Amino acid sequence: MYEFVSGPLVWISFGIFFIGLLVRVISYIKGLDWQKDRVAYSAAGIPGAAKSIVYWLIPFGSQGWKNNPFFTIGTFIFHICLLGVPIFLLAHNILLDESWGISWWTISDSTADWITLIFFVAVIFLVIRRIVNPNVRLLTTGYDYLILAIAAAPFITGYMAYHQWMDYKTILIIHILCGELMLIAIPFTKLSHFVLFFCSRAQLGMDYGIKRGGRYGRGICW
Amino acid sequence: MRKRAVALYAGMGVLISILTFMLMPAYSQEDIVNLADSAFGDRERPAAVFAHEEHNEKAEIEECNVCHHLYRGGNKVDDESSEGTNCSACHYVEGGDTTRPLMKAYHELCKSCHQENKAGPVTCGECHRK
Repeated sequence: MYEFVSGPLVWISFGIFFIGLLVRVISYIKGLDWQKDRVAYSAAGIPGAAKSIVYWLIPFGSQGWKNNPFFTIGTFIFHICLLGVPIFLLAHNILLDESWGISWWTISDSTADWITLIFFVAVIFLVIRRIVNPNVRLLTTGYDYLILAIAAAPFITGYMAYHQWMDYKTILIIHILCGELMLIAIPFTKLSHFVLFFCSRAQLGMDYGIKRGGRYGRGICW
Repeated sequence: MRKRAVALYAGMGVLISILTFMLMPAYSQEDIVNLADSAFGDRERPAAVFAHEEHNEKAEIEECNVCHHLYRGGNKVDDESSEGTNCSACHYVEGGDTTRPLMKAYHELCKSCHQENKAGPVTCGECHRK
């Protein structure tokens, strides 16, 4: 079982992940229509598109982040942990090095352990936000909690595997499966904002950079 | 009085010698239980569990150089072995020009054989037990 989930299934899930995201980006771009969208898609909008992406990647960079400080802090912590821990985890890098001979900077196991706990706090914050904030509660369905669970599952099982709680090998296999489930789910669910964030920011940034005083205004990045 | 003292000292000497010999095997190769290589310094994980005798009996390994290999000029010397020499004498922690880094050497030596023979652990926590 371990051989299968750590071998062919890794290839399958990464294949679905990359091809799926490529399809999502292509279909997003192909679906653009300046007449229907009333967005001026032109080369003149590229600086505005780039600006929107960059400012939304910086905590409190955009007006949208400034207006929601707690959410900004919570979601940035969540996303930094979500990407940082699996990519820079020593054990993952060792496996990559042994398979392909490549690896990059790593964080110590104890650092990863602490960051994972911080990640759990961020997950709880995002859940509570969906319950207590009426604006968000109105938009929330069970699907949103499912998405959050898919993102949190590799961390919960990874934490259990690292601490060798319960049957180690079973937990490890479940951990790998959870990671693969997340990769496969990304192109098919709201998790596609992994790439579509960049698409929609570019689209809006292009519009705001040309119209609505974007070129002559005070340079606010909404 | 003097004779009794001599006899007492002699008796104690014999007793200490016997006890020493009895305890000696505790430090022999028979009781290797993990791969706590001192060359590593600070470890991220507990040293890999490895009961030397038990392992070799189970795996039916007769020759020392199955693991304690010896390379000369990039070629494995078949009829010689390197037991008694620390792995880190050739496999430096940071890696050498021609040799694998120490951790990689351990991982590959153990895991490749386990995978080949479809026996023995290959996942992190099966060897690095908490």
